[in-house]
Amino acid sequence: MAGLSISSVTKRFGDTEVLKGVTLDVADAEFVSLVGPSGCGKSTLLRIIAGLEDPTSGEIAIDGKGVTGMRAAARNLSMVFQSYALYPHLTVAENIAVPLRMRSLTAAQRLPLIGPFLPGAKEQRAEIASAVQDAADMLEISALLDRKPGQLSGGQRQRVALGRALVREPAAFLLDEPLSNLDAKLRVQTRAEIAQLHRRLNATFIYVTHDQVEAMTMSDRIAVMMGGEILQCDAPSVIYEDPSDIRVAEFIGSPKINILPVELANAEMTLFGRVLGHAAEVAQAGIYQLGLRPEALKLMQAEPVMTGTVAHMENLGSEVYAQVALADQTARVTLRAAPTERHKLHLGAEVGLGFDLNDGLIFDADGKRRRRLEVAVMREREVA
Amino acid sequence: MAAIDAPAAARAPREVNRQARTAWGLTAPALALMFLILLVPVVVAGILSFTNYSLGNTGFDWVGFKNYDRLFSRSTYEKMFIATFTYVAVVVPVSVALGLGAALLVNSLGRIGDIYKTIFFLPVMATLLAMAIVWEFMLHPTIGVINQTLELSCGTFLEVVPFLANGCADGFPLWLGDRDYAIWVLCFIGIWQGFGFNMVLYLAGLTAVHRELYHAAEMDGAKSAWERFRLVTWPALGPTTVFVVTISCIRAFQVFDTVEAFWPQGGGPNKSTYVMMFAIFEKGVQQNLIGIGSAITMLFLVFVMFLTLIQRWLVERKVHY
Repeated sequence: MAGLSISSVTKRFGDTEVLKGVTLDVADAEFVSLVGPSGCGKSTLLRIIAGLEDPTSGEIAIDGKGVTGMRAAARNLSMVFQSYALYPHLTVAENIAVPLRMRSLTAAQRLPLIGPFLPGAKEQRAEIASAVQDAADMLEISALLDRKPGQLSGGQRQRVALGRALVREPAAFLLDEPLSNLDAKLRVQTRAEIAQLHRRLNATFIYVTHDQVEAMTMSDRIAVMMGGEILQCDAPSVIYEDPSDIRVAEFIGSPKINILPVELANAEMTLFGRVLGHAAEVAQAGIYQLGLRPEALKLMQAEPVMTGTVAHMENLGSEVYAQVALADQTARVTLRAAPTERHKLHLGAEVGLGFDLNDGLIFDADGKRRRRLEVAVMREREVA
Repeated sequence: MAAIDAPAAARAPREVNRQARTAWGLTAPALALMFLILLVPVVVAGILSFTNYSLGNTGFDWVGFKNYDRLFSRSTYEKMFIATFTYVAVVVPVSVALGLGAALLVNSLGRIGDIYKTIFFLPVMATLLAMAIVWEFMLHPTIGVINQTLELSCGTFLEVVPFLANGCADGFPLWLGDRDYAIWVLCFIGIWQGFGFNMVLYLAGLTAVHRELYHAAEMDGAKSAWERFRLVTWPALGPTTVFVVTISCIRAFQVFDTVEAFWPQGGGPNKSTYVMMFAIFEKGVQQNLIGIGSAITMLFLVFVMFLTLIQRWLVERKVHY
């Protein structure tokens, strides 16, 4: 097992710049997710780490040793593909054995018919068989070892692909959206299993996904990628609670964070004309953006900051999401309410909304987080 | 419940009958055609192979297995089998291997591959009869380009090659007129003409190979092109290979037009290229010996049927994942 380091990697396909200088260090035994919308370059980055693509510039190092330009087969990494990429003509056992056969048997020993009778082949084959059995036991697919991939369900294929990856001890595991072909229920189950597997193997995992829930639930750290760069790489809780960029705040969190325009003028911060707080001399006057998670909004009868009508409701049982069309505004905000408050919410109901500014995130017009401004506004409020 | 079920149950068989009638009605034209243009001629040929019928005769005599007996006892037919099986045994493996090789090479090229694809496929599209005439000119013992090119080597260091030395001393082969060379020339032209078709079939097969499997093979440690070929390409081409081999076999059994163009008088020097299709034509059409012609035809059908059965078995058992 080993750590990984990626420094200023760029990748161009013709005129398109897919990666614009990505730097990321992954510690030994860490689980890092690369998450981002389609086309953000996350799969390309993973393939560059794997060695299946060459970077236009930049360096990749595994365990401190530079591997840029080294071919994928020599990098000792395992990869699970989105399509699983199982060899259709081989049984499950043979599929799992391929990485071991390719590495521990010589070309002659792999030959059909005469291969098994060459010196040393028998012991090697026995070792491979026991390693395959161990991997199959770990993934609970021992009963399927004689089947062909065509006879397996999506979830079983996914396990076989995992088995093929973990049968040898690679420097790191690379997983390219391995759950995206599974149905929702199986995805939740496999998610937990992969996280458990990571703890059990204590190995380095790099996991590519477009699903923020997978990234949030499994990772030690999440690298949010957009437009070919890593916007932020932090622990899931930090990514959610303390995003540095408005795009990170908008991408992580479901339903999406509410973004409202606030104005700073004469050291006063106002939202739709209501004064929220004061901020003296820490920021330029102008328009800022206030991010509020759905759970930060509260239903309020007295002195609401905003009022509006319920335009859409989603009842998930344990919680209720309501979209509120703000009065006199084109914007809609999403609010999370407890089931006990459901009686107050029905389509067309007039509601008042309030929030604690401590729960708000302030971004400037370019989308950068303004932490000093937040601190100033809050301190001023406390003083007031 | 019973009161409702009874009429429903009574109606069901009638419904099934009606559907069955419609199904038969819709299948009838195809069935009729299959009987008329496939099965009836085969049965007729089968019957005729036990007679001494000639076209124009009012009647015929049953001769039992005499026609078949002749096929397996006369030296002409022994030569026929030797020529046919030599041709099949050479042309099928070589044209399949060349087709696969060409397909892999063309597939690995970008846009230039299309040019090669066209070049290799040209002989398939060309009329073999016309091409045979061109080959005949080229292979002419004295004025053909091939022997003239070979003669250029006379007096040079190339004479160390025994074939060239002998040619310079005693004259180069007659090719089409030489009983030792005729069948090999025929094989060569068969390969030249046929491998482009196999290449196109393999190219189609290659498009179905999942790209990601090559990446998986690379990650699994398959370093050489040969290992990737063994692990991914060759198994994925299994169904294509079965089809290509079967088609090549049947086409090789059917070789006729080159033989007819080169040796219209009958089967080449010393009957060394007297292939089955030509024998059928010569006996059944030229000499109007319908009985013996039919017997060769039946034998031909047995071979082709046998090949098709092997193909079906392989496709269902071995290469269907």
